[in-house]
Amino acid sequence: MPLTFIDIEKQKNWRIGILFVFLILMYFLISAGLLFSFFQMIPLGSHFGKTLLFSAGRLFLLFFFSTAIASVHFYFSAYDTVRYIRKNINATDPDPEDGIHKQLMNIMEEIHVVTGNSVRMQCVVIPSLAMNALSAIDMRGNALIAITEGLLSRLSRDQIEAVMAHEAHHILSGDCLESTVASSLFGVPASLVEKVQTFSEGRAYLSPAFIVTLLLLKLSQFLNMFISREREYRADAGAVRMTRNPLALAEVLHILWRNWRGSGFIGSGLENLCIVNPKVSSIDESEGWLANLLSTHPPIRKRISFLLTMAHVRLSDLETKNKTAAIPIPSEQNKDRYFALDHKYQWQGPYSLAELALLPWFAALTWISTGGTSMQKASDMPVLNDIFMKRIAQEGTAQTSHPCPVCHHPLLKRSVEKTRVMQCKFCGGTLVDHNRVFRIIARGEDGYSERIRTLSKITLKKNQLKKIARSVKGSEQNIPLLSCPQCKNKMTRAFYSLVYLIDLDRCSWCRVTWFDRDELKMLQCMIHTRMASERLL
Amino acid sequence: MIVVWIILGILVFVLLWVIITFNLLVSLRNQVHNAWKQIDVQLKRRHDLIPNLVSTVRGAMEFEQDTLEKVINARAKAVSAVGTQQKASAENMLTQALGRLFAVMENYPDLKTNQNIMQLQEELTSTENRIGFARQLYNDLVANYRTKQEIFPNNVIVSFFAGFQKEEYFEAEESDRAVPKADISIRPE
Repeated sequence: MPLTFIDIEKQKNWRIGILFVFLILMYFLISAGLLFSFFQMIPLGSHFGKTLLFSAGRLFLLFFFSTAIASVHFYFSAYDTVRYIRKNINATDPDPEDGIHKQLMNIMEEIHVVTGNSVRMQCVVIPSLAMNALSAIDMRGNALIAITEGLLSRLSRDQIEAVMAHEAHHILSGDCLESTVASSLFGVPASLVEKVQTFSEGRAYLSPAFIVTLLLLKLSQFLNMFISREREYRADAGAVRMTRNPLALAEVLHILWRNWRGSGFIGSGLENLCIVNPKVSSIDESEGWLANLLSTHPPIRKRISFLLTMAHVRLSDLETKNKTAAIPIPSEQNKDRYFALDHKYQWQGPYSLAELALLPWFAALTWISTGGTSMQKASDMPVLNDIFMKRIAQEGTAQTSHPCPVCHHPLLKRSVEKTRVMQCKFCGGTLVDHNRVFRIIARGEDGYSERIRTLSKITLKKNQLKKIARSVKGSEQNIPLLSCPQCKNKMTRAFYSLVYLIDLDRCSWCRVTWFDRDELKMLQCMIHTRMASERLL
Repeated sequence: MIVVWIILGILVFVLLWVIITFNLLVSLRNQVHNAWKQIDVQLKRRHDLIPNLVSTVRGAMEFEQDTLEKVINARAKAVSAVGTQQKASAENMLTQALGRLFAVMENYPDLKTNQNIMQLQEELTSTENRIGFARQLYNDLVANYRTKQEIFPNNVIVSFFAGFQKEEYFEAEESDRAVPKADISIRPE
């Protein structure tokens, strides 16, 4: 029954049948090959083996046997795939308390409305700074749309909607089912083995796991020939028909074109499910029958040009717009600067408004200067007065029962980058759930002051020495470990990673991380600076 | 005898065709009605959200009581409206009043730091989108239904049976038509 344009465009899933036949054929050939070589080894000579092998009854038995194995294989890769894919990409449900995730959930609902609620789609978030999105549906009807934190943090509301509509069209038009089955036959196991293998050490190129992965990937690539490139164009067109906004999708593709799309994070077997291929390859960007056969994604440039034609916008205009929008690191230089007189009567600063609000000694009677010779009491400046009003308003409602691990004042519920955290008003430290740390890092919306940038550089250098000291036993000063504000157990102290050397206290029981003052901002700044420099290369 | 069989065959064929087409039209009509109800669901959601938004921003926007009053009045009118035509015009009034409120809210940076208001605004934006999408789906379905009604030979069945009235499209207000959806900041020269 045609419902809307989506149903009209629905294709027959005859390709799935071909995949099944391919499986049977593959197992038949393998078992025949094994049997043949087995009979070759029998000393009585190959004549006996050959006559036995090619008898009709034996061939039928072989066929029956390979069909049975193929059915089992097909059942496991077609009926419960979405669960495995979800596990493979470590995706989590969106958090309703998080501003941006809430927006994503709303957008998903909007997509359900525009498609007439014909298929319920589950929306999940991949905790990665990469920029990509993928969709999958299995034969049970479980549908999944996954989007990375990196992409979520860079896109506007309209752009996220365009991505979700694109992925939803894949699912609703039915082409997603065939690509999910094609990639799950060999690609998903390959990605699983690949993941296990990266954790094991040693000579990877000689390990059996590597050979298995390679074999599975080759088979997966062979199956990808069945996946048409056209489906991406169709999904783009479908997304435009849903959202009626071709420019937003063109902008998304343009952003994806120049950024890390998750190569290495999203398993090689899952490439054809993504909106753009995570791996940048020349074959994807070329045309012709060979490229059409081997590649699963059409050239991004061509996709963008189709969309721009619909929007009546030229590529050069889009490029200049994106260039001005994507200044590598946001800066706060143009904002107001404040100097404050501390309790030792020393001028400190310059601070931005947000930093001033976090200063432990900043009070209503603190003297403030904006750089000139004049100075005023903080309470006399209306802009600063708001800080105190907010402090009073927040203290009543947002206070938690957990004490700050450093200064033991009660922690307050705050929102950093639209994510719920607990913060100490006095020392400026922040307590963040493990699974929320990634989100905050991905969203560098607030910008970094010169002070944070310098501080992060100095801290990095200092911690490099600390790292060396830690490797030499006993040469490091013993700083007592902090206790977790929630469970009161001692937290463990370690660097965020070997590249981003920020010393953090973590509680593995409650799964929370404690950031001292500025540490969260510094970590964000370090990662963004590095990513920006890589983007420029 | 053969002639009788042929006539009987043709009759059976025509009867089958009438049944299939009739059922198709009924199911399409129900889809159209369902889509219309979906618009109502989203409008109700908007009506429920507005009092929350107004009470939250009232304190911060003392000087904009006029704008707030307009939103409240428009909502009251929309809730009490009866009949499709009256409902549509009341809802359009409400959309305009809300648009003005959002525009005025831009002048109050304080409101941007208030999480409650940001959440409410997101909910309302989402609801506006859902209303738009629900109308879009409705119009798509109406177009499909009308085509199926008007093509030959289906139009014979439609004229024969009562109950297949022409469904009306959801028309946008003249003022809405003037606003293009595409971003006009980078127009080609």
